[in-house]
Amino acid sequence: MNDNRNRSPSISPGAVVVAAIFLLVSVIGINWFTSFVPVVLPPQASAESKSVDDLFYVLVIIGGIVFFLIQGMLLISVIFFRAKSGDQSDGPTYHGNPLLEIVWTIIPAGVVVFLAVLSFNVWMQNTEPKATVNMIDGNEIKINVSGARYAWTHTYQTGRLDDNGEQIVINSGDKLHTYIGQNIELELRTQDVIHSYWVPAMRVKQDLLPGNPATGGRPTELRFTPVRVEDETYPAAYPIVCAELCGDGHGRMTGEVIVYADESHFLEQFYEPAIYAILNPPADPVLRGEILIQEYICNSCHTLDSLEWSSRTGPSLNGIADRAGERVPGQSAEEYLVQSIWNSQAFTVPGYTEQMAAFGPDQTDANAMNAEQLYAITAYLCTQGEQTDCDTENQTTAIPAAIKTSFGLDVDITFGQSAGEAGTTETADEG
Amino acid sequence: MATIAVPIGAQAEQPGAEAVRRPALSEYLRWSVDHKIIGVQYGISSFLFFLVGGAMAMAIRWELLTPALDLMVSGSAYNSLFTMHGTVMIFLFIIPMWAAFGNFVVPLQLGAKDMAFPWLNAFAFWLIPPAAIVVLMGYFVTPAEAGWTSYPPLSTLFSGDGQTLWALGAHLLGISSIMGSINFIVTILNMRPEGMTLWRMPLLCWAVLATSIIAVMATPFLAGALTLLLLDRVAGTTFFDATGGGDVLLWQNIFWFYSHPAVYIMVLPGMGVLSEVLSIHSRKPVFGYRMVGLSSMGIAFVGFTVWAHHMFTSLQPELRIPFMITTMIIAVPTGIKMFSWLGTIWGGKIRFTSAMLFALGFLSMFVIGGITGVMLAALPFDIHVHDTYFVVSHFHFVLFGGSVFAIYAALYHWFPKVTGRMMNERWGRIHFVFTYFGFLFTFFPMHIVGMLGMPRRVAVYDPAFTQWNQLIGISAFVLGFSSFIVVYNVIHSYFRGPVAGANPWRALTLEWATTSPPPVTNFIDDPIPYENPYGYGTEAATAYLDAVDETFRHGGLASSSH
Repeated sequence: MNDNRNRSPSISPGAVVVAAIFLLVSVIGINWFTSFVPVVLPPQASAESKSVDDLFYVLVIIGGIVFFLIQGMLLISVIFFRAKSGDQSDGPTYHGNPLLEIVWTIIPAGVVVFLAVLSFNVWMQNTEPKATVNMIDGNEIKINVSGARYAWTHTYQTGRLDDNGEQIVINSGDKLHTYIGQNIELELRTQDVIHSYWVPAMRVKQDLLPGNPATGGRPTELRFTPVRVEDETYPAAYPIVCAELCGDGHGRMTGEVIVYADESHFLEQFYEPAIYAILNPPADPVLRGEILIQEYICNSCHTLDSLEWSSRTGPSLNGIADRAGERVPGQSAEEYLVQSIWNSQAFTVPGYTEQMAAFGPDQTDANAMNAEQLYAITAYLCTQGEQTDCDTENQTTAIPAAIKTSFGLDVDITFGQSAGEAGTTETADEG
Repeated sequence: MATIAVPIGAQAEQPGAEAVRRPALSEYLRWSVDHKIIGVQYGISSFLFFLVGGAMAMAIRWELLTPALDLMVSGSAYNSLFTMHGTVMIFLFIIPMWAAFGNFVVPLQLGAKDMAFPWLNAFAFWLIPPAAIVVLMGYFVTPAEAGWTSYPPLSTLFSGDGQTLWALGAHLLGISSIMGSINFIVTILNMRPEGMTLWRMPLLCWAVLATSIIAVMATPFLAGALTLLLLDRVAGTTFFDATGGGDVLLWQNIFWFYSHPAVYIMVLPGMGVLSEVLSIHSRKPVFGYRMVGLSSMGIAFVGFTVWAHHMFTSLQPELRIPFMITTMIIAVPTGIKMFSWLGTIWGGKIRFTSAMLFALGFLSMFVIGGITGVMLAALPFDIHVHDTYFVVSHFHFVLFGGSVFAIYAALYHWFPKVTGRMMNERWGRIHFVFTYFGFLFTFFPMHIVGMLGMPRRVAVYDPAFTQWNQLIGISAFVLGFSSFIVVYNVIHSYFRGPVAGANPWRALTLEWATTSPPPVTNFIDDPIPYENPYGYGTEAATAYLDAVDETFRHGGLASSSH
């Protein structure tokens, strides 16, 4: 009665033909899969991206073998082992094959060990410390990234000093400027929630973790080295994306990595002009404010047509000077504006729920703002309107008075240039 | 083979058992300690939540048809949409849906009259409606919008009251899950009939046992994390606030210590279903029964050691390597199951029933989720695709291609036992075709947009990805439509389907050795299990099945019951 028990399916010539066809299809199919590898990945713009893609190539080949093995056996089963119509009988009583079970335990185990070793090697190679990082003009400098809802801010600690002996810091907003061959090492800090700094073309990603500001936050690091991409025109731009949910504007928290062909282009087109602009700021507070406001992350939440901002998380700044005097009873337009920036928690415009980030002299990194910067930004905002509520005739006194009343601070409306130091004047004259 | 003569106990000596009465529909709305009623209560409420979560998914895909924000009023509204989609699908659909099948089938497979603790069983179910109300009430305040993972400080310092309600609701669901699981463990270990050793137990019971062990061990960690989150939100503590000495990674560690094993809570019962359906509908024993059962336990154990692969971009770099290795190892027991299932159908006599189609669909889709799982474990590659649509695609291949396909297979397989009527096979096949291709074209392209640079959880995206997202969106609408086919089939078949009889699939497990639907006490007398739950193809098995048919020939569902 146990006639068909433990009888394994026998090998017939037909099975050999089927196996051969299956093998052929698999080889062609895997080959076809791998041809897509470059198409489904962004350009290889960093040294790291090449080794990551090579690893992916291996994963696709091994994954393809598994895919065709399983789907092929499945397909063969449903074609050849379907019950004939009217056949109500059972299949063979075949309970297993210990040898086969050992084989399909050992081989996958071997494959994953191989993949783990391979991945480990790629990882060690990509994270190996570089001899020099962030080399600019023969010096290693620090490049910091600040993430705040919903914008990236990049700052270059140039190591050069201005006339007051303070270090010149370039703020390049949401753009990271670099050049081919520069070993980039970023120090990332968040101002609020967790963000994740992702440059798809570089295959790198790192979370920004909230830490205690009193102890310098909780910096994380990210390293990559841009390389030349074939048929690319330089300077080339690659997107930066936020990959960790951070709130309302998560999807538009983006930026760009600008890669220059070599260091001299980088210096000529970005670095030196930026330093020059810092050393020679316009004396007019409105022009100064227009530059400054773009160094902060205001654009991540506000709309302002004159600067082509279009975010709608916070209230629009179009024509703000026409409304600023009416928002809070008892506050002049100037007082309202300065308090909205430094004391943003105190008042929320009706119809909006999200709390604006805090700016001021006590804030760190990208949110730090001194009284002079506040003065210039307010002066700029006072020009955004037609029948402005601001006292534009007397802005040099009205805004400092508002800052004095609100925060008890004096403003140097000459931005330190009244000291009349020789160096300052000369530099200005050269410009 | 002395048992052939009287294979199913004294029932065989009671010919002409009374016609079976189906419970009135109103009984499902009341408190009941009958595991069969509770199972259906779990099943119907979970399926309703599946439709709710599915409607949310449709809204998500509608929003993503264009790169700009259009359907939703704000990014926050979109964020609350996918937060609720995830929460509803995981905590209110998949996990309770497995409690539905576990409740209905496991005591029957064990030949038991009910679960070990019937009152606790009912209590666990009745925690779900209030929990669901608490979670969904967030829509009347500020809805939770930090994702189902709810990472602080977004979920603490930057979220509204809906987040508090979310945490309270999840707490209640966790309690329900723990109580249900304790009940399963006690039932499976203590209430097996004489002669059914652990090694002769149906594989669904093995899978539910492994699942329950995971749930009992892991869910308390979720409870701990949620308690800390609630305290941070309402009591001013700073467990996750760095300015007060807390640490945001604390949440990620505890949360994933639950939530990664929770993936196995969601998929292991589906694997149990697969073993049943594939064996019965290809008329062949499960290949390598012991290894299939043991691999469930292997997955349960290794599943506790992989949680930090969810933190590859936030964890200290030197800690990432060990988690990469454990994550790769877990592919081995999963592979054993895949190969054993192929060995099961290989050489069999496959019946292409709707249940079998969905089980085969599981095999062909789940393998893709497994392959991308190994790719994601490879740390350097994961760094690129972490938190992108590649990951969204991966876990939908596991949880939809895996769990949902298995749920459909289970539905078509056990519906006759639950209602006494067969489902319509033609509509079942149409349902399968729409689901299979809708699913494939919804989720496979997500791998590609993810690799190309589209992060997950965004309402606005790079216009370069528009066409991909439109393909995904249209396929998703087809997939969404397919669920109405099964709704129609269930309702139609409940009233008009052909009468099933006790054992329409000629299966050897004990739930088929009683009437459909079973009487209140499940069995008229203690049933005697066949020596091997999957021992198809022997004369002894055929004799046993014939005896079952003979016993219940007159005991089917009374055709006048509707």
